[in-house]
Amino acid sequence: MNKGTLILMGALAALTAARVVAAADPAQAPGPAAGQGCISLKTVAQTEEEVLNEQGERVKRLAPAAKVVPGTEVVWTVTASNVCGQAVGNVFIDNPVPEHMRYVASSALGAGADIAFSLDGRRYAAPEQLRVRDADGSERVARADEYTHIRWTFRNAIAPGQVALARFRAVLK
Amino acid sequence: MIKPSTSFRAPSGLVVLGLAMLWGVSQPAAAVGVVAGTEIQNTAQVSYTIGSTPVTTSSNTVAVTVAEVLDVVVTLQSATTTVSPGATNQVLVYRVTNTGNSSEGFQLTLNSVLGGDEFDPVPATPAIYFDTDGSGTLTPADTPYTPGANDPVLLQDTFVTVLVVNDIPTGLANGARGLSQLEADALTGTGAPGTVFAGQGANGTDAVVGTTGADGDATGQYVVADITLTAVKTSTVTDAFGGSRPIPGAQIRYQVVVTATGTGTAAGASFRDPIPTNTTFVPGSITLNGNAVTDSTADADAGGYTTSPVPAVQVALGDLTQASGPQTLVFDVTID
Repeated sequence: MNKGTLILMGALAALTAARVVAAADPAQAPGPAAGQGCISLKTVAQTEEEVLNEQGERVKRLAPAAKVVPGTEVVWTVTASNVCGQAVGNVFIDNPVPEHMRYVASSALGAGADIAFSLDGRRYAAPEQLRVRDADGSERVARADEYTHIRWTFRNAIAPGQVALARFRAVLK
Repeated sequence: MIKPSTSFRAPSGLVVLGLAMLWGVSQPAAAVGVVAGTEIQNTAQVSYTIGSTPVTTSSNTVAVTVAEVLDVVVTLQSATTTVSPGATNQVLVYRVTNTGNSSEGFQLTLNSVLGGDEFDPVPATPAIYFDTDGSGTLTPADTPYTPGANDPVLLQDTFVTVLVVNDIPTGLANGARGLSQLEADALTGTGAPGTVFAGQGANGTDAVVGTTGADGDATGQYVVADITLTAVKTSTVTDAFGGSRPIPGAQIRYQVVVTATGTGTAAGASFRDPIPTNTTFVPGSITLNGNAVTDSTADADAGGYTTSPVPAVQVALGDLTQASGPQTLVFDVTID
C-alpha cells in the first residue's frame, strides 16, 4: 500500500465522521454541501386523528404525535432523500422498534423495498423465518410484537433528488 | 421501562398516602401502561454506497413524551349490609384504584341520597375513612378523610381501601333498602374521555382523560333485616311401666323447634341445649328434622353431644331465613 492510498483513506474516514455528526444534528439543514452524506434521513412521529372533511365525512389524517398515551398507535415515517448529484445504491434503512412500543403486525411499508425483521438487531429475516423458543422448549414463529428491529432494503438505487420512504406503526405499551 | 419505586414516599402534606402505603396500597403492576413522562425515542439509520464506498448515517432522534392518562375505578368490596333500624356506624367497604399511568390525587365524595331505594342512609361524621389498619372494619386506627386535606394520592395501578360510614334511620320496615355511593374524581380534572388538560400531566405532559372519565363511583346497599329466632321446647316422659311418670329410669324425649321470623338471614345459627341435671343423655338419640345426627361433634354432620363445659346437645342450623321453615331437634335423656 503506498502513501497516496493511505492519505485518501484517512480523508474518507474524516468525511464519514463529519457526515454522521451533521445528519444527527436536526438543527442543521440537510443539503448537498461538500462534506455531507448523500442521504438525508429524517424521522417523524405522527398519530392518526379523525377529522370531518368538507363533505362532513369522518376521515383520518396524520398529525404530529402529541398526547401519546398507552394504547396510542404512533406512525413512524423515515424519509431518505438523495441530496447528492449521483445515485446511491445498496440502500437499507434500519429502525429499532422504540422502547416501550409494540410493532403493529403488517404495518411496515416501503415502496420498492424488501422488509425484514429482527429479534436482536443483528439477524434480519422474513417474518416466517423468525423463530423463538418458548419456555417449554417448543419452537414457534415469532409474533409481530416480539420484533425489535425492522429493515427496509431498497431494490433499486436512489437517484439524485429522489426520496425513499419507510413507514411502520407501533403501539405504546 | 420505568418501574414505580417500591418504597413510596408521601409528598409533603399528603399524610394519608404514607399511611395508606404502609398497609399495602401497592399491588403488583397489572400493566396500566407506560408511565407518564417517559420519553419514547426513535432514531433510524440508513446505509448505502456511493460508488463503492459504504456510508452509514443516522436520522434525527424523535422523542415523544408519554402523556398522563387520568383514570380511576371505584369498586364495592362489601356485600349488601344487613342493618337494624336506628343502627349507627354501619360500614360499607370500597376500593379506589388509580388505573391511569401516573401518580394522581383523588377527591372522594359520598352521596347517600339516591333514588331506587326505600330510605336514605345518614352519613356519619366523619363519613369516609381510610382503612388504615387494613381490617376491613371501622376501628380507632382508621384515618378520617377530609376533602382537600388528605386526598389520597395513588401511584398508577395502586388502590386505597375506603370505609363509608352511615347511620340507619329509625322506623324502617323489614326489607327496606338504602343506597350509598362513593365517588372518586381525579384532582387534575374529569370529563369526557379524550378531554385534555394541557401541561397538567406528570412532568409537564398533557393530561388526558381516559375511558373512565377520570371519575369512578360504586354504590353499596343496606337492607333492613329484623330476624328473630324462637325456640319452643316440649318434653314427653315415658316410664318403664308404660306410663308417663318422671321416675328414675324413665325416659324424657325433648323436642326443640327453632323458627326464624322476619326478613334477612340469621347467619350461622346454632342451638345448644344443656342436659338437665339428674338426667343422662341417651347415646344415639339425636335427630334434626327427622334425620339422625351422630353423637360426635367432630364429624361432618350438623351436631352431636358434648360433655364440656357441661353435658349438652348442640347442632349447627346454618344460615336461617324465614323460608327455611321450622328446624326440629329431638333427643332423649333418662332420669337418674
